[in-house]
Amino acid sequence: MNDTELEALFSAARTDRPEPSAALLARVMADAMAEAEARAAPAPAPRARPTRGGLARILGLIGGWPAMGGLATAGLMGVWIGYAAPGGFDAVTATMLGSGYDVSDMMPGLDAYLTEG
Amino acid sequence: MPFDAESGGSDEDLLLAYGQGDARAARVLTLRLTPRALGYAARLLRDTAEAEDVAQEAMLRLWRIAPEWRAGEAKVTTWLYRVVTNLCTDRLRRRRGQGLDEVPEPEDDAPGAEARLIAQARADALDAALAALPERQRQAVILRHIEGLSNPEIAGIMEIGIEAVESLTARGKRALALALAGRRSELGFEDD
Repeated sequence: MNDTELEALFSAARTDRPEPSAALLARVMADAMAEAEARAAPAPAPRARPTRGGLARILGLIGGWPAMGGLATAGLMGVWIGYAAPGGFDAVTATMLGSGYDVSDMMPGLDAYLTEG
Repeated sequence: MPFDAESGGSDEDLLLAYGQGDARAARVLTLRLTPRALGYAARLLRDTAEAEDVAQEAMLRLWRIAPEWRAGEAKVTTWLYRVVTNLCTDRLRRRRGQGLDEVPEPEDDAPGAEARLIAQARADALDAALAALPERQRQAVILRHIEGLSNPEIAGIMEIGIEAVESLTARGKRALALALAGRRSELGFEDD
């Protein structure tokens, strides 16, 4: 068989190609869409990790929320002292006891120990 | 304007557009490339159902690689033919492993005088003779003479040098001519 004859066979083969069925084309197209959708979908959210903000970091350093309790008390005390201290100790007693008394009134007088009967 | 296999720019432009999410590009590529993948796979496997599976798988791999496709590095068809070649090679090896290498001979319906029947008989006879060739010769001959690709393209697909392609096609054609010599008159060729 010569080259011309062989070429005639190749030519016959070129026209004898299977055409893709509509079902195959639909499957290929469906794959294309599925792949495109998979790419377009947002990546799965990374495992929720608590965000550690500035406050949380500071809390971590001092020992967490229990330590915060003590800190709050101390802070309030400071505020109260800051508010009250400029008046001096007298002002504290005046606030607590009223101006009609003096500290000395809270202490027993020496007379009380000396007095008999 | 209707979209068909002929519209929409080069394969590469379409693939890059699909990589950006363009569904119309995917449609044109599907219509343009699926027939080629299927035709080549059917020629190698001689089994339409298996060839359809291979064509779909090869196209799926194309969809998957689209976002990473680097423009200008390779021809899309070269890449696709290579994937089809490899998928078919795997299937043929599995067949051999199962002792199913013997592909059924095409039915030899007596060719009549009509040209349509002669053409069919020629295609069938060629298919049978191709099936008897060594695997690499068969791939090279099909790519060159039926798919109509150039030797450099075939070299890219088969991952060999151009000289090796020339050698494979030459030896393949000689073997085909020899195998079909006895069927010349049956295939409508005049005796010398």
